[in-house]
Amino acid sequence: MQIDYRMEKPIILEASLELRGFTVLLGLSGEGKSCLLRAIAGLLPAAGNPFGGLPPQRRPVGYLPQSYALFPHLKAWENVAFPLQRGWGRKEKALELLGMVGLRNVADRYPDALSGGEQQRVALARALAREPQLLLLDEPTSALDAATLDVLLAELIGQVRRLGLPTLAVTHDPRLAAMADRMAVMAGRRIVQEGTPQQVFRNPLSRDVARLVGFRNLLTGIVRERVGKWMWVDLNGLLLRAPVHDWLIPGMAVGVGIRSEEINLVPAGALPPENSNVIPLELTSVREEGLALRILGRGAIELNILLQHPVTPEASHLRPGAEVNGLVDPERIHFFPP
Amino acid sequence: MRQLSFMEPHFSPHDRNGRRRSIMPAILGLLVFFFMLAPFAALALVTSWGKFHFVAGDGDAIRVSLFYSLASLTIIICLGTPLAWWLANYEFRGKLLVEALILLPLLTPPLAMGILLASFYGPYGAAGAGLERLGLTLTNNPEAFVLAQVYGAMPYYAIAARAAFEGVPRELEQIAMTLGKEPWQIFLQVTLPLSRLGLAAGMALAWIRAMGEFGIVLIIAYFPQGIPVKLWVNLQDTGLSSVYPLLWLFFIIAMPLPLLLGILSRRRSVF
Repeated sequence: MQIDYRMEKPIILEASLELRGFTVLLGLSGEGKSCLLRAIAGLLPAAGNPFGGLPPQRRPVGYLPQSYALFPHLKAWENVAFPLQRGWGRKEKALELLGMVGLRNVADRYPDALSGGEQQRVALARALAREPQLLLLDEPTSALDAATLDVLLAELIGQVRRLGLPTLAVTHDPRLAAMADRMAVMAGRRIVQEGTPQQVFRNPLSRDVARLVGFRNLLTGIVRERVGKWMWVDLNGLLLRAPVHDWLIPGMAVGVGIRSEEINLVPAGALPPENSNVIPLELTSVREEGLALRILGRGAIELNILLQHPVTPEASHLRPGAEVNGLVDPERIHFFPP
Repeated sequence: MRQLSFMEPHFSPHDRNGRRRSIMPAILGLLVFFFMLAPFAALALVTSWGKFHFVAGDGDAIRVSLFYSLASLTIIICLGTPLAWWLANYEFRGKLLVEALILLPLLTPPLAMGILLASFYGPYGAAGAGLERLGLTLTNNPEAFVLAQVYGAMPYYAIAARAAFEGVPRELEQIAMTLGKEPWQIFLQVTLPLSRLGLAAGMALAWIRAMGEFGIVLIIAYFPQGIPVKLWVNLQDTGLSSVYPLLWLFFIIAMPLPLLLGILSRRRSVF
């Protein structure tokens, strides 16, 4: 399904993207992602396809706002039955839908007695009751507990996939994007990149996209020379080796991205593995982040490093002031326009 | 969850969150409560229970008050609801002025309001002349009585209903739209149930105001006589002894509706 929408109020926004299965639109808050969803649902004035020009009550769209917007005066099953025609079988149909999201047992509870995850699933069942052709999810991770987030998301996505219903979820959470069938990235109120999560996470086409998909080290360098299948990039006097990219010509400036978790640290004296880029660093900060260590180091460039499995937390060479070598695999250096 | 036991005093020294709370607000509240109700307690003392009797016309006054107040309340709800809805949902230039002007009938002293109504709807008034040609006179008849009550009480309902409508989250009305409902269905199935507390309060207020309306009624509808005007007549014709019995009856008749509305609107499944 192809989505093309243009709106002028309350913000100017133009979006054109392809939906395939569970599609995620990733972008920072304030990009107007929610506005786009509301426009597709017909709640904001906008021109576009599909459903353009129809009043909201005629659009075959299931819309789940960030707060789920369950009716507080209706029980769970009554919420689900809300879009259904009055008549025989209404309650049975509602209970069946609740059963589909695994919540038949809370049918008689009011929304304020449901957890965030349960509310979300009731809202999903209610949206499905209207038999939509397109499902819109606004920040589906925002009201979920961090502890159960992965499980609930997997459940939600599984549900949507089983239904075979095209779904567009907007979020600023790269974890959700990583689980999608397809994703698009919004920056500067435009779609700047589309593709499978693998493509986008591996090959961000711009600094904005790289930041959104989790790159913490975003630098600018100059391409120096190309020798065989290798080229060298100058980062403030430090030369890094990387595989040749066709579009990079010696002399041009280039954006360089390195993921925190793709940098390794070894003591200054240790022999580095072959082919690896070696970056001498003085550590400026070391702090625990759960089981991992978040480390800042400064040399020719500043690097933000996440050691997922530090050998021992008290590893003696990892303390502020220590001199170490950062190691980066040439294949793990990403390039985009500066 | 804390369970209420039989032994627990009703005035628990803890608030809903279990924090110990100060006794001062409760004492102050009770004092103000007694202050407000003291004159009514006095009524019990000054009523001569041995000679408790009604005078001629009291029964009619009760019928008039009850029946026409309910008619007024119906009209107030029919007219006040669209007004409140308009103010709650639309933004326009001069809205503040409109809101202020709605308070005008409340601000105007009842007697003056009665005079204004008489000079507008009366036989020589701007509207009165036209209405008369249609066969409708608005002085000293049930229509005029209802008109007086509507003017006296509608602002209370409109203001309360407007606040009630504004209290309904916009998002819920919008989500109802995306669920395929037409505006009138959304009003009945979402807005109305969610604003019921405020609407009920507005109805109760308007009802009480309409029942007790004296000044406006006195000017344009001395007849038919409802309880407030009859109290005045009793006082002049017979004296205090015939005021108190009717007043007791007035309270007994007027109080149940607000109480009932209060109880019903607190239940979740009233609609």
